[in-house]
Amino acid sequence: MVVAGLSGCGKSTLCFCLCGAIRHNRDGVLAGEVLLNGKNVRELRAAGLALEVGMVFQDPDTQLFSPTVEDEIAFAPENLCLPPGRIRERVEHVLDLLGIAALREANPYRLSGGEKHLVALAAVLALDPPVLLLDEVMSSLDSAGRKKVAAVLERLRGAGKTIIAVEHDLEAVDFADRLMVMEKGALLRYGRTETLLADRDFMGEKLWHSWN
Amino acid sequence: MAFLELTRVSFSYPKRGRRVLTEIDLALDRDEITAIVGPNGGGKTTLTKLMIGVLQPSGGQIRLDGRPLAGYSLGEIGRRVGYVFQNPDVQLFCGTVAEEIGFGLTNRGYKPEMVEERIQFYLDYFELGVYRNVFPLHLSRGEKQRLAIAAVLANEPLFLILDEPTAGLDAYRKKLLADYLQKIARLGRGMILVSHDEPFVGRMAERVVALKDGRIQSDSGRKGNAAYEA
Amino acid sequence: MKLDPRTKMVMVVCLSGLALLYNTPGQLLLVFAVTVALLMIFHFELSVIGDYLKPFLSLMLFLLVIQCVFSPGGEVLLAAGPVPLITTGGLSMGVCVVLRIMTVAAAAMLFTTFSSRDFILGLVQWKVPYELAFMVSIALRFLPVFRDELSNVVTAVQLRGVELKKVPWREKMALYRRLFFPVVYGTMLKAQQLAVSMEARGFRVYPRRTYLRRLNLLGADIAVMLVCLVSTIMLIALHFT
Repeated sequence: MVVAGLSGCGKSTLCFCLCGAIRHNRDGVLAGEVLLNGKNVRELRAAGLALEVGMVFQDPDTQLFSPTVEDEIAFAPENLCLPPGRIRERVEHVLDLLGIAALREANPYRLSGGEKHLVALAAVLALDPPVLLLDEVMSSLDSAGRKKVAAVLERLRGAGKTIIAVEHDLEAVDFADRLMVMEKGALLRYGRTETLLADRDFMGEKLWHSWN
Repeated sequence: MAFLELTRVSFSYPKRGRRVLTEIDLALDRDEITAIVGPNGGGKTTLTKLMIGVLQPSGGQIRLDGRPLAGYSLGEIGRRVGYVFQNPDVQLFCGTVAEEIGFGLTNRGYKPEMVEERIQFYLDYFELGVYRNVFPLHLSRGEKQRLAIAAVLANEPLFLILDEPTAGLDAYRKKLLADYLQKIARLGRGMILVSHDEPFVGRMAERVVALKDGRIQSDSGRKGNAAYEA
Repeated sequence: MKLDPRTKMVMVVCLSGLALLYNTPGQLLLVFAVTVALLMIFHFELSVIGDYLKPFLSLMLFLLVIQCVFSPGGEVLLAAGPVPLITTGGLSMGVCVVLRIMTVAAAAMLFTTFSSRDFILGLVQWKVPYELAFMVSIALRFLPVFRDELSNVVTAVQLRGVELKKVPWREKMALYRRLFFPVVYGTMLKAQQLAVSMEARGFRVYPRRTYLRRLNLLGADIAVMLVCLVSTIMLIALHFT
């Protein structure tokens, strides 16, 4: 599913609610209940939530903290207490999946912007959560990177994972089954991607601005 | 004479063997919109950071407005070339959105009324008016991006370098930005756009330079001088 | 020479301990010389060590002068009328303080020879709680990040056309004062976001965690560690008898 809407309309905030960051780490009042897989986000510990949902945040600089890319990716499976052999498997699998094996020994802090986003995504994929939240991951990738990520997401969907992506670029969302459009902190419309995209009147010139 | 001229410029980070840029030759005119495109990690951002003296080349020479770049101070470069970083967080440092936009002008001794007028204009154009007194880092990604661009534009530099200006912007805001940039380009102020956003580049750029593995892979060439009409 | 990070930690503790204990310029000079010699064994060039110590220089000069003037004793070397300015006692105290700081700072350079992840592994394998080990390591990592943050801001300010070097001193202070709180607050926001992303990746989900790699103490490590510890303990014992 893709969440779309103008910048500042509350898409990221919605993600923070879903992954429990608002409840646990941010100021502010969360009204209502967020149910995830039948469990109430309020009642789960922040780290416990990580077993249910993985989130790739917008700013890669504040989510990379390890000395090498490999350590960064190993961080999540290490937290899950996997044996070293299994951790190794996951790290290799994810490095391979996103085609960043060459960056293995690099310092994440020194990578280029797009590479940082890929590493941040890789680190969350290694957590292997049932629900994946992606906050504008596509927009900073080049077209090759996008294709690779889209293929990975396709595979994950095939494996029964739920993917919720926030994107501005509606051209990058055609992989989505459902589309949710927000405006000013409220849900504007929610439905099947084809149906919504076909409704040009609704999408309006604000959201669907053709470049020609 | 080109506004910005790079001659056999190479760059590698100290202590790390990997060469980021190899012998780049590039001459850019002041009234031209150039896009620098290429895959992630190809050296695009590094190249533009060299152009504003934030990084020093390990080989070759860069000339700005006919003088070697090394002879300028950062402040002098900043008044000629406005630079919008890829990550808006690293260039927002004021207490409020309005201060951020007025910062350069205030510190260069413009009259308060004049600064205020400009602040109001940019707040309105980039639809940031409601956030006037908000702490910049509390804004959303797209808003921070717009603010960073507005703060640089408010200085009215001769030339602009924008690193991934459309990241975090929705299509409607992209159009607003594109319109504004084209307007100032028509006034004779050129720019470099570093971007993956193909539709944006396709619509904006008069010249496209593709960078891959630290080398120029293709360059559509300078457009010549007489192309602008208002 | 490739030593376990823990061995290096022991070395740093021994050297710093001796530097804090000793009180005469001769002894401290010896400890400092040993530290520099060790650094050179770990492939640090003298010039690199010099560059590293340079930022401490003004602080050390300041302390030297303070110590000279304010700790009296011994013969008077220089006096302003009846007031003794430099005494042998004061001078030797000053030199001691400077050597002490230089030794501790130089010994800390050993920490830069291994990655922060190895540091965590070392501590955890010595039964230090992993939360604590990560906290220390992230804090250490945040120092350069904070420095980068500051230099980013200084760069960004100048790129907005402000000629920092030419701004009069008083205005410059006012400018810095105005920038101080936003920058500190911004860094705090980023630290908070970092904590969120660590938890979002399952940090502290269980009381235990596993590690991809393991550090192994080799014979050489144990030997070096023993030599360091035994000689330090002996020197301490000698000092007190």
